Amino acid sequence: MAEKEFKNPEYYVNRELSWVLFNHRVLNEARDRNIPLFERLKFLSITASNLDEFFMIRVASLKDMVNAGYEKPDIAGLTPTEQLKRLHLAIHELVELQYSTYNRSLLPLLEKNGLHIIRHHEHLTEEEAEYVDRYFEDNVYPVLTPMAVDSSRPFPLIRNKSLNIGAMVRKKNNEEELEFATVQVPSVLARVVEIPSEGDIRKVILLEEIIERNIQKLFLNYHIVCAHPFRIMRNADLTIEEDEAADLLKEIEKQIKKRQWGEAIRLEVEENIDSHLLKIIKKELRIEEQNIYEIDGPLDLTVLMKLYGLDGFHHLKTPKFEPQQVPELPTGCDIFEEIRKGDILLHHPYQSFTPVVDFIRQAARNPEVLAIKQTLYRVSGNSPIIAALAQAAENGKQVTVLVELKARFDEENNIVWARMLEKAGCHVIYGLVGLKTHSKITLVVRREEDGIRRYVHLGTGNYNDATAKLYTDVGMLTCSEPIGEDATAVFNMLSGYSEPLFWNKLSLAPLWLKDKFLYLIGREKKYAEEGRPAHIIAKMNSLCDRDIIAALYEASAAGVKIDLIVRGICCLRVGIPGVSENITVRSIVGNFLEHSRIFYFENDEHYEIYCGSADWMPRNLERRVEILFPVDRPELKEELFHILQNQLKDTVKASVLQPDGTYSKVKKRGKQVFNSQDAFCEEAKRKAMALKEESALDTRTFKPEMHQ
Amino acid sequence: MSIKTFAAIDVGSFELSMKIFEFSGKNNMREIDYIKQRLDLGSDTYAAGKISNEKVDELCRTLKEFAAVMASYKVEAYRAYGTSAIRETENSAILLDQIAQRTGIRVEVLSNSEQRFLDYKSIASQGESFRKFIEQNTAIVDIGGGSIQLSLFENDTLVSTQNLRLGVLRIQELLHHASTRNGRTEDLIDEMATAQLATYKKLYLKEHEIQNIIVVDDYISPWARKRAGKSGAQAMINVGDFETLLQMLRSKSTTEIAKLMDIMEEKVPLVLISAVLTRRIALLMGADCIWAPGVTLCDGIAYEYAEKNKMFKGEHDFEKDIIACAVNISKRYMGSKKRAETLEKLSTTIFDSMKKVHGLGKRERLYLRIAAILHDCGKYVSMVNIGETSYNIIMATEMIGLSHMEREIVANIVRFNHSSFQYYGQPGMSGIDRDSYLVVAKLTAILRLANSLDRSHKQKLKGLKASLQENELILNVETQEDITLETCFFDQRCEFFTEVFSITPVLKQKKNF
Repeated sequence: MAEKEFKNPEYYVNRELSWVLFNHRVLNEARDRNIPLFERLKFLSITASNLDEFFMIRVASLKDMVNAGYEKPDIAGLTPTEQLKRLHLAIHELVELQYSTYNRSLLPLLEKNGLHIIRHHEHLTEEEAEYVDRYFEDNVYPVLTPMAVDSSRPFPLIRNKSLNIGAMVRKKNNEEELEFATVQVPSVLARVVEIPSEGDIRKVILLEEIIERNIQKLFLNYHIVCAHPFRIMRNADLTIEEDEAADLLKEIEKQIKKRQWGEAIRLEVEENIDSHLLKIIKKELRIEEQNIYEIDGPLDLTVLMKLYGLDGFHHLKTPKFEPQQVPELPTGCDIFEEIRKGDILLHHPYQSFTPVVDFIRQAARNPEVLAIKQTLYRVSGNSPIIAALAQAAENGKQVTVLVELKARFDEENNIVWARMLEKAGCHVIYGLVGLKTHSKITLVVRREEDGIRRYVHLGTGNYNDATAKLYTDVGMLTCSEPIGEDATAVFNMLSGYSEPLFWNKLSLAPLWLKDKFLYLIGREKKYAEEGRPAHIIAKMNSLCDRDIIAALYEASAAGVKIDLIVRGICCLRVGIPGVSENITVRSIVGNFLEHSRIFYFENDEHYEIYCGSADWMPRNLERRVEILFPVDRPELKEELFHILQNQLKDTVKASVLQPDGTYSKVKKRGKQVFNSQDAFCEEAKRKAMALKEESALDTRTFKPEMHQ
Repeated sequence: MSIKTFAAIDVGSFELSMKIFEFSGKNNMREIDYIKQRLDLGSDTYAAGKISNEKVDELCRTLKEFAAVMASYKVEAYRAYGTSAIRETENSAILLDQIAQRTGIRVEVLSNSEQRFLDYKSIASQGESFRKFIEQNTAIVDIGGGSIQLSLFENDTLVSTQNLRLGVLRIQELLHHASTRNGRTEDLIDEMATAQLATYKKLYLKEHEIQNIIVVDDYISPWARKRAGKSGAQAMINVGDFETLLQMLRSKSTTEIAKLMDIMEEKVPLVLISAVLTRRIALLMGADCIWAPGVTLCDGIAYEYAEKNKMFKGEHDFEKDIIACAVNISKRYMGSKKRAETLEKLSTTIFDSMKKVHGLGKRERLYLRIAAILHDCGKYVSMVNIGETSYNIIMATEMIGLSHMEREIVANIVRFNHSSFQYYGQPGMSGIDRDSYLVVAKLTAILRLANSLDRSHKQKLKGLKASLQENELILNVETQEDITLETCFFDQRCEFFTEVFSITPVLKQKKNF
């Protein structure tokens, strides 16, 4: 088949629609009866926050395209207008399922388990109502800013993602004219308010119900005709004109302030909202019919995360997993010494992220360390890594940090600590013009007795100690000379110097990475054609690069066995005769967010394994700085292969892509029930335990057995 | 042995670069960092004679960053050299001072021959593969921005070197002025090159047969290096491969070429110029193997530094190359080989016996040898004005490995061997600093003395033994021949020797019957 054939739009799925399917898979977790109830609340909350983000970025950018008259079809041959049309249907369907899950499954179950959510303030008992009103007066009223609209006062700014209560009011002395009034539900107050109750049943009510009940107190000179909550979403895809902005930093600060003024692209209202009220909001926000969501239940389901955080109900939550110690790096060890013994693999969150933090901490204190260089994309608030870097600079190390200011939604955060690092004496690079730096690399240069030695950490996940407890990622610590040389070259490039003559081990996007992947896929294809074993296993978050998919189709057609583990968006179709019959795709959605990118190539029985920061998406391969690194040490290769194998064996959290484009859970019949994430937890515990036992044997002191 | 960290900085015409090296143990040189920043100083200099303010600012900014990187590696020493773009600016002294003030980095200017010598050393730093390669007759084609340098090897020794003003940036500058159709560019470059190369062939190449070519450049070498992978020794191209490369350069668009060769688009035209030049030279010489080791000036700077500081014992004898070059020049001007040898022997014998008095070292001994070899080259032009003509010939002839100042020293020694000595500050002694002047004086005294010992040009005083005894230098000669002529001249020449060293030479003839 000609190469062009493999790029036939019919062989591809639109990425936005594929994303909706992903959110459905998350929603499936909320609907899974085998999962503890409060975990299900959490999953439902995640679908809501996912959807918010999706609107702000993807839907917004499609709208921009439509507004700009851009009509170029996507990978699957759909124009932006067509995509939006299909998306609205798909999203309305998704939202309906979210709320039917909430209303029909979760609410009754919560009730059964002793948690009553009072849906409407009208349902409060007298006693409860009294409590709520007092709560309102003491805590809520002082922070509210009610706003009425009339000829002298314009329609107020409704903030992006904020929850508001809109009301129709009539002046007490003017019987005729109806006016619009609104008040924002303050985000500084807890949205879930527990009402003291006796007996086993605990009761909660949402803040907006409390305000709605007391809204009359805000508009004393008016009669309240009706009051209903509403929420809007605005276009937030800030496009920074990097070439034009002389000072990138200032430009971003400006953009953040502007963001809330973006065009409204979604309106959520209560299902039974007063039609007159809706009409006013609709008109003022200039929002189209298809972007209005009438909701049967509380707006903004991310509130369920707060519900999850209620004290008690432990039996309804999965016990928190404690990341285990990495056996090669016992507490208090000299990390550099351990790395010199051989490359070390870290598998988060099963294994602790602490060694990575310690790596930088020790480097900051170590007198032999000359320099520390790191790329930072998203870091946690109060990050110990930032503190260690600042400490290092104060200790006279040369510290270079590339801070990516363009990390979405994190800009404001990033600017603050970037300034702090600068103050401490670090050399801070504020990203590269036109490119996002997404690579995760740390380089520590040490002057040792036998000369300069470089220690490198490479990873698939951000240097964020908080998310490292939730995201599955792999990282490697090494002092291999070729990788060290490459790491130095990476930072030279990031500092604006020319590229090196050649790379020893690393492949970098946007210049070389895509070609590398195409080469690796092509090599398997060649082996398949020669009748030799050929197999690709690739794990990533998203797959939507046309060139890569076409190469995979070609390889599949040549007989390469391809197993893909793609958590989110997947624009590839399986089971197309003569095109993708040898390809399987599965998605794992579990307690931990699958985030690692691991690539296995059989290479004629001399298999190669790579890890990296890049997905197979055009933005990763073409518009970002990404790093792919090979793992060479045989033990580590086996471990990574084992990770992939386990994920391919998963029967609990895996959904398999069908030829019709839907996903369905693995058929368990005849197979052992296997949850890969649980298995990794157990393995990590076993390894850490083995270490403890071993070290117990090593000690020369006797340990008296305790009498129970 | 302790470890030393060293930085080599090359302020080139097209690019600023710095390499950080680590020296450990004997002959262990490890590159640990390599930073390059594109900065086109050349076009300013070649077109306007001066570097614009914006470029100077950028240059200083980058050098400051380099200084920070050096500090971060705790670099113990550095050498920063400017090449043709700096050398050819009219106000280079002001510029260098400004750089030093603003960045703390002292940039020195390399003369062409010094620069080429360092390039040459960088190739030699490749060790074994270099030695193997020059077993056959080899030409080094060193392609720079302003000019190219052609150096020939015979029997693993450098025998000649010539500079041709055919640098890639210079040619590109010329091409800008000649509006050409695309297909004509190659012919035009070829035409420009052929004119100069034909002359070169007639004068210098003659009957030499050259099998191999070593290319040093910033255009083809990176490509060859990339093709070969890590090891520079593998970057061999045979003439066939080279034609394929040219074919590709001709038939593809700039963007395609940039992608195929994995280089920046703006470098593509320079690659073409470099490739056409190399091909033309290969054809001219009849060579069929091209080696592009991908070394840079920085490697040569580090090699030289390590050598000077005894951290490195080079396998290749560069002194031998310089001597061989001198012998060749002498041959070209029909100098007497025999007499040169005698003179060299006599003068070095005197030099060695006087170590305590003159306090000069190995390098100065080399000047003396070269001066002895070239002592009569001016005769070719005039039998009367030998001093002046020799001086002019030496100053006009490049000797790879000698800096401009060193050449000035050698030329002056030869000149004052014949003409009357000019003292420091006298009009005849301009262009030379005080230290060099003293070297000239001392070596002139020695050469004059040696010269007097072979006045008859008959090599009568073969077995010379010299020994220092208090204020006298006793020169014992064993010969049966009549040395009246020598003795006569000897007394005349002693005067200057005594003036310089406060030592009186005494000639003693010992006849063995």
